[in-house]
This record gives sequence, structure tokens and C-alpha cells, in this order.
Amino acid sequence: MLLAYALSSGITSGALYALVAVGLVLCYRTTGHINFSHGELFMIGGFLAFTLHVMWGLPYIVALLGAVAGSFVLGVLTDRVVYQPLIKAPPIAMVMATVGLSFVLKGIGRHFWGGQGEVVPFPPLVSPAPVLIGGVAVFPQQLVVVASVVVCMLLLTLFFTRTRAGKMMQATAENAHAAYLVGIRVERVYMLTWGVGAALAGVAAVFVAPLTLLTPDIGLSLLLKAFAATILGGLGSMTGAVIGGLLVGILEALAGTYIASSIQDVSAFIIILAVLVFRPTGLLGARARREV
Amino acid sequence: MADLSIERLSLSFGGLAALSDVDIAVPAGEIRGIIGPNGAGKTTLLNVISGLVRPTEGEIRLDGQPLTRLKASEVAARGVGRTFQTSLLFKGMTVLENVMAGMHQGLRTSVLAAAVGLPGVLREERRARERAREALAFVGMLSFAERDGASLSFGQQRLVEIARSLVAEPKVLLLDEPAVGLSPPRVAELDELLRRIRDKRGITIIMVEHVIRLVMGVCDRITVLNSGRKIADGTPDVILADPFVKEAYLGKSSDADRA
Repeated sequence: MLLAYALSSGITSGALYALVAVGLVLCYRTTGHINFSHGELFMIGGFLAFTLHVMWGLPYIVALLGAVAGSFVLGVLTDRVVYQPLIKAPPIAMVMATVGLSFVLKGIGRHFWGGQGEVVPFPPLVSPAPVLIGGVAVFPQQLVVVASVVVCMLLLTLFFTRTRAGKMMQATAENAHAAYLVGIRVERVYMLTWGVGAALAGVAAVFVAPLTLLTPDIGLSLLLKAFAATILGGLGSMTGAVIGGLLVGILEALAGTYIASSIQDVSAFIIILAVLVFRPTGLLGARARREV
Repeated sequence: MADLSIERLSLSFGGLAALSDVDIAVPAGEIRGIIGPNGAGKTTLLNVISGLVRPTEGEIRLDGQPLTRLKASEVAARGVGRTFQTSLLFKGMTVLENVMAGMHQGLRTSVLAAAVGLPGVLREERRARERAREALAFVGMLSFAERDGASLSFGQQRLVEIARSLVAEPKVLLLDEPAVGLSPPRVAELDELLRRIRDKRGITIIMVEHVIRLVMGVCDRITVLNSGRKIADGTPDVILADPFVKEAYLGKSSDADRA
């Protein structure tokens, strides 16, 4: 019973980590950079949804679309303001710039949504009463989250396998110089990549908000979990990010349940350390090198 | 059908002139060969036309519209396609995916359309996939559509690259040594393919090529470059008979001819 509970909550948060991690990997694969403000994109997305849904009373779907559009625009701005100007600078410049950006976004979050109360509640989307599935109590919100994450992944897969924009993104990730020579508008591909990556964080935020509490400082812990997921899955592999995200969610729920609840928050660090020591390429690392 | 004109084109790197005062007018629907010894500036000329290198002086016009100050992607968007001497297929992607990556005009529309609705997007993308398959069929590579691009032979990769440039629906196609490494029967097929590209698709072709048999057989006119200068321009017969060309191209044997 306890195990079932831990698993169901682990899978739910794991699915969300997977979504955030996929956005992180998408940007990394195409641009070669880790966006250290990715967690803050998540935070802003969540608060945009909060403003639209809780403060203004607009329907949930409007909040979802608003948060996705808002974080997409933030991603595009990241491209314009940080990535494009520094594209020829040494990699450390990009690290510093995205870390800096994370502080700026956190400041914006605190200014608009922080301060008065430490945390803001987001009402559950569906009935909060748990339902029994095979004798296990599951919150309907958890089912909604998992289903939505699956839908997002399917859409993303469709995007990569079926659309020209997806092929161009793949081509740019594989060989940006060749993509440029072939006439692909590489800058536009980068812009789209940052936008889509950020939008994924925004989607995740809208689903997380009713489950946990939003705070302007939530970004860093989310980034760490997504980072643990990508390291575990093998940096650069999208499938790896999904598997890694689920595993991080499940492992931290199990650790929190069976070891000590204080372990839950540091389990992402432990996973990062353990993977880097024992299997630096991650679970799908060896394959990821041959994958795009 | 579009014409391409190159006027007083010069390019120098530091003090070194890679191209000097080159004038070439390629009428719509022509297959133009560019020949010359190594280092004559042939590939450089293609790089300047496709916007990869900015000329020091001169103007390039496509149907009268200047291309000279545009970026490579903008030149491609105006209808100038290109293949390269070395294979530029994307690894880890199938042949069909590689061809789809060449549909660069699709990027904006598919992002916009994605915001409007999924069914429409998928329909449009299915059509794009169809066009990619058509292009592969056109170059005779459809049966390789699902193969990994990197597993193909050099000559097959060439054909895929031609298909990839065709899906962007260029008005002018620049080919950099398409016949290099091909066996004689394959060269004959390429000859036929180039004619079909011109006749069926209405594309003007400018081709840098060393395989003289192909150049003489398929080109309407030939321009000869030597040390960055145009030294001759004319039909294959005229070029073959031109003493300057013989001297530049064939070197010492021309002395024997004259004697």
C-alpha cells in the first residue's frame, strides 16, 4: 500500500521532471548549451497560469495556453538576448549569462508573485478526492498529469518525425554548419528550439502547480531534478531524459517514503553524483552518441 | 525559369585576388559549365553566388534582382539551390528525412500552422513528405528512402543531395563537381538527370565540373576560369578549339599542338 502510494506519486512527479528535462535536452542538443535559467522559465510559466486562472478567474485551458505562449516567448527572448549575441563567445560566457538570467527571472517572479505570502495555492483541476484503482488510492490530478505528459511527448515525437521544422532542428543539431550551407535558416531553428524548450517547461509548470506550491524560488530545485534526469538518461538523449525523469521521480519518492522524508530533496544530488561516478554516459549514453 | 547574371565580380583576400572582374550571363534554362584548372576560383565563384562569401566588388542578379548583399539562407530562399564537393548529408537521419530538411521555406509556415491546428499541420507535412518522395523518385533514389544517409555510396549521396536541393524548388541550381568519383555509366545517368532537371523542372543549372566528357556533353555553354579571371566563354565546340583554354587547361601539351 505504502509502496503503491510512493510509486504513484513518484510516477507523477517523474513525468513532470521528464517534461522539464526534455526541454533542457532539446536546447542542449541543438545549441550545445545547458540553459541554467530553464527552472525559472518553469517558475514564470507556473505563475502566468496562476495569474490567469487563480487571480483573473479565466478557465484552466486559457491559463494553460497562456502559460505555454508566455514561456515560448520567454524562450525566444532568451535566444535573442542571451544566445544569439554570445553564439561565438566561449561556452563559459553562455553559462554565466544563463545563470545571470535565472537571477533576473527569479527577481521578476519575486516582484510580481512573491513577497506577500511565501507560497500561493493553485486549486486542483479536478476533484481532489482520491479514486481507487486496483485497490490503490490515486489522485485524479495525478492521472491528468500523467496523461497530459504522455500527450505532450506524443506531440513532440510527431513534431520530430513528421514535420519539416522537426527535421531541420534535427539537421541543425547534427551539423549546424552543413545545415547553414544547405540553406536552412539556422538562427530561426535556434529561436524555435529555445521557444519549444521553454514552452515544455511552461506546460510542466501548469500541471505541477495544483500538486505542489509555487514559489519564485522553485526554479533551481526543478532545474536540478531535470538535470539529474538528463544525466541519468544520458546527456543529449531525449528518450533518456524521459526515462531519467521517471526514475528520478520514483527514486526520490521511494527514498522519501522508506528512508527519510528529508532525503527526498537531496536524492537528485545523490543520483547526479552516483551516475557521474559509476556510469558517466548515463543509461542511454552509449546509444545517445550515435543517435543524433 | 530564371537567368543569373554576374557583373564585374571581384573577390580578394588581403592582397590576393581570388576572382577578378568576372562577367558571366547565364540565360534562363541554360546548363552552364564552369571549368578551369585547380585554384582557378570555380568553387569560390559558387560560394559567392550562394552568399557564403561576400564579394569585394561586383553584382550578382537573379532575374534582375540583386543577390549580392544577402545571407546564404536568403539567397537560398530566393531560389538558388546548391550542392557541395563533399557530402553534407546529415548523419543519423534517413535519406527521406535528409531531403525533408531541405524544405527550408517550410519552417515559418509549419510553426504558424502548428499554432492554428494540428490536423492541418499534419496534412501539410504529409504533403511535404510526398514531395520529398517525389524528388527522390526524380533522381532515382526512392528505393533508398528509409536507409541511413551515411550508408550510401558517394555517388548515391550526391543524388540525394540533388534531391534535397530540388525540394526547395530552386530557380537556379549550383552543382559543385557532381560527377566526381562516378563510374562512366553513372556519369551518363547524371547527364540525363541534369537534362531532366532543366527540361521538366525548368531549372537553370550552373555546374563546376572536371569530368570533361560530362561538361562537353550536357552544357549549352562553358565558361573557363583561370587564376580568378574569365579567359573564355562559349559553346563546347568553341571552348574545345580555343587556344587559350588549351594552354590554361592542358598546360604543356598545348605547345605540342601549336608546333
